[in-house]
Amino acid sequence: MAEPAYTVASDSENTEEEKSSSTFPEIAIGIDIGTSQCSVAVWNGSQVELLKNTRNQKMMRSYVTFKDEVPSGGVSNQLSHEHELLSGAAIFNMKRLIGRVDTDPVVHASRSLPFLVQTMDIGVRPFIAALVNNVWRSTTPEEALAIFLVELRAMAGIQLKRPVRNVVLTIPVSFGRFQLTRIERACAMAGLHVLRLMPEPTAVALLYAQQQQQTAHDNMGSGSEKIGLIFNMGAGYCDVAVTATAGGVSQIRALAGTTIGGEDLLQNMMHHLLPNAETLFSTHGISEIKAIGLLRVATQDAIHKLSFQASVQIDVDLGNGSKINKVLDRQEFEEVNKKVFEKCESLIIQCLHDAKIEVEDVNDVIAVGGCSYIPKVKDLVLNVCKRQELYKGMNPLEAAVSGAALEGAVASGISDPFGNLDLLTIQVTPLAIGIRADGGKFVPIIARNTTMPARKEMTFTTVHDNQTEALIIVYEGEGQQNAEENHLLGYFKIVGIPSAPKGVPEISVCLDIDASNVLRVYASAKHRGPHQKAMPSMEVRMPTVDDGHGWCAEALHRAYGSTSDLVTVQKKI
Amino acid sequence: MRCHGLTISGSDSRFLVPQYSTPISTPRPPNPNLSPLFFSVRIPKPVYSARIRVGPVKAKAASAVDDGLVAEAAAAELSFYELLGIPESGSLVQIKQAYKQLARKYHPDVSPPDRVEEYTRRFIRVQEAYETLSDPRRRAMYDRDMAKGLHLAFSARRRYQNDEGMEEKSEWKTRWQSQLSELKRRSMNKDVRGNMSWGARMRRRRDDLSNEL
Repeated sequence: MAEPAYTVASDSENTEEEKSSSTFPEIAIGIDIGTSQCSVAVWNGSQVELLKNTRNQKMMRSYVTFKDEVPSGGVSNQLSHEHELLSGAAIFNMKRLIGRVDTDPVVHASRSLPFLVQTMDIGVRPFIAALVNNVWRSTTPEEALAIFLVELRAMAGIQLKRPVRNVVLTIPVSFGRFQLTRIERACAMAGLHVLRLMPEPTAVALLYAQQQQQTAHDNMGSGSEKIGLIFNMGAGYCDVAVTATAGGVSQIRALAGTTIGGEDLLQNMMHHLLPNAETLFSTHGISEIKAIGLLRVATQDAIHKLSFQASVQIDVDLGNGSKINKVLDRQEFEEVNKKVFEKCESLIIQCLHDAKIEVEDVNDVIAVGGCSYIPKVKDLVLNVCKRQELYKGMNPLEAAVSGAALEGAVASGISDPFGNLDLLTIQVTPLAIGIRADGGKFVPIIARNTTMPARKEMTFTTVHDNQTEALIIVYEGEGQQNAEENHLLGYFKIVGIPSAPKGVPEISVCLDIDASNVLRVYASAKHRGPHQKAMPSMEVRMPTVDDGHGWCAEALHRAYGSTSDLVTVQKKI
Repeated sequence: MRCHGLTISGSDSRFLVPQYSTPISTPRPPNPNLSPLFFSVRIPKPVYSARIRVGPVKAKAASAVDDGLVAEAAAAELSFYELLGIPESGSLVQIKQAYKQLARKYHPDVSPPDRVEEYTRRFIRVQEAYETLSDPRRRAMYDRDMAKGLHLAFSARRRYQNDEGMEEKSEWKTRWQSQLSELKRRSMNKDVRGNMSWGARMRRRRDDLSNEL
């Protein structure tokens, strides 16, 4: 599958880069690209420091405007007014859109954003465009993210007085491997080299591990194991992690994540305030975009205020004859978003269950991310965890980026005389990986929450007599029964299976995730008897599927039906 | 094929010095370029000579030789307790502590850049030992199997099924690994030499010379 060619931005810095790299090791910076805000931090030799832009901001809005010939992002650009972001010229929520196909409900929900998100509903990349001089100019989430990252890179370079190349990026737990390749591509387009992609709550867990290690040092204690539960909810995603930490080692026991966040709260509220919002805005005319923008700003503002006061007055004139005048209180807000909060609760419960940890054994409950300021969110976390109070000592907006900066320093081989960088994260797989077998079912080979690196093997057999070929279709997902509900990573064919009655041949499939989180799939048909010539086995690096994975699965099914299916071999005891 | 006892400074685990010849005929000549390191954690009692023949020794050892990693074959014959360096009566706290200590040593994130693969394999083995022993139910089953002499209980069960697959897979692996082995040997020696005792260095040099002849 042909990759479009991209030119790496700012090649001009290369000579300078080579000069400096010989004198001192480059410390990788940590970047937290949020759905709504973004921040950058670096280990400054003694501690983690957040970098500020020219307007002295540590938190920068994640968006790109295509107003003029040269697009500009939220790092350098000064918005004259919030409404400018909502004029159609700005692309935001890149992190919600990246690597998703147009059948994804998240993409569908994004159609009410004040820029163009067009879907064909056939399982391909959605069409995204910004309004420039009354023309919808197409772009992609990767491109928008890359433009933004170029600005971040330049800003960090100025602050650190050196070119920046290596980064540790935080990502949502629910990101699949295909989405990770999109993030990596955006980074490559921006001239950044990704050392690690770290699930957000594991970055927070690393910061927690460091803090616990320091406390243990100060108390001259033995540093016994501590269990931390991390709940992280931002604008786009909600993640939970359970970590067991001792002596600077953060052992991730389980991860759970989903695509819910502040954006859902906002969209639910907008829909609540204006029930026919979607039909009203479907044409995306200039006046409709303006109306969405006005409603969005007013609703966002009201939600923010509800974190600090019991009720809020909303007065907004949408300009097309419809006006909203309403008093909104917390109870109504919580009722409208009941499902979102229930999902948050179930994520925590699921994560504790997967970690095999009783809630009583949790030492600290840590809530971070923008949504952790919402009283209902705080309450639900405390309730599920049966606590009176949350862990203090972390800035909810800075925890993830600080952890990423720590990982950046560790991964760059930097050591600290005080032992503050004697840290290690033992990661787990956030999603299960397996193949389609047993009649269209998803059979996980590497289960969710398996410690990485990992290598697991399973044996399958044929479903037809004298079946000589088998299709290995690899999926990744939360372990839904039906293979099609998971994300397709790739597929290939095993040929030369010895002719035999069904159920006799043995086909072994081995999945290997190496130290760099690269997934390889090995498969081979076993041969008995010395005179039989062995067929070469297969090694396939995944994901191999580029865009349009919805398409591929369907086409495969049409072309092959069940002729090349496999079933699991019952385990011998 | 011989193995050498090495002591790596900064690590308190000892490397064994068994000079045994492989008791199995291997389908291919072992790769002489790799002098495998012998890794082991303190062994409470000399049990494994009795256990070494349990299980599919042939296929396992053969693939290990293909990998040039006789050391790992031996490590695979260690019990999970031996792997973690704890007594069989060890408590859960001890298991957790031992696991975290070994993770700090063998997690690929902390490995020397040129030995990531080797560390990855070691870490996966430590992980398996930890996962089995930290789960009371699985630990009980493992203890029972061990008492019966079915030493490799968990990993072995999978191995019984997949030996041939593993062997086949190791074939393609040998192909590219033999290409890499010379490169690897150099960097590995370079890396290890700094940490080796004088005697070990001499033995290694002698071996290198005889290999090159």
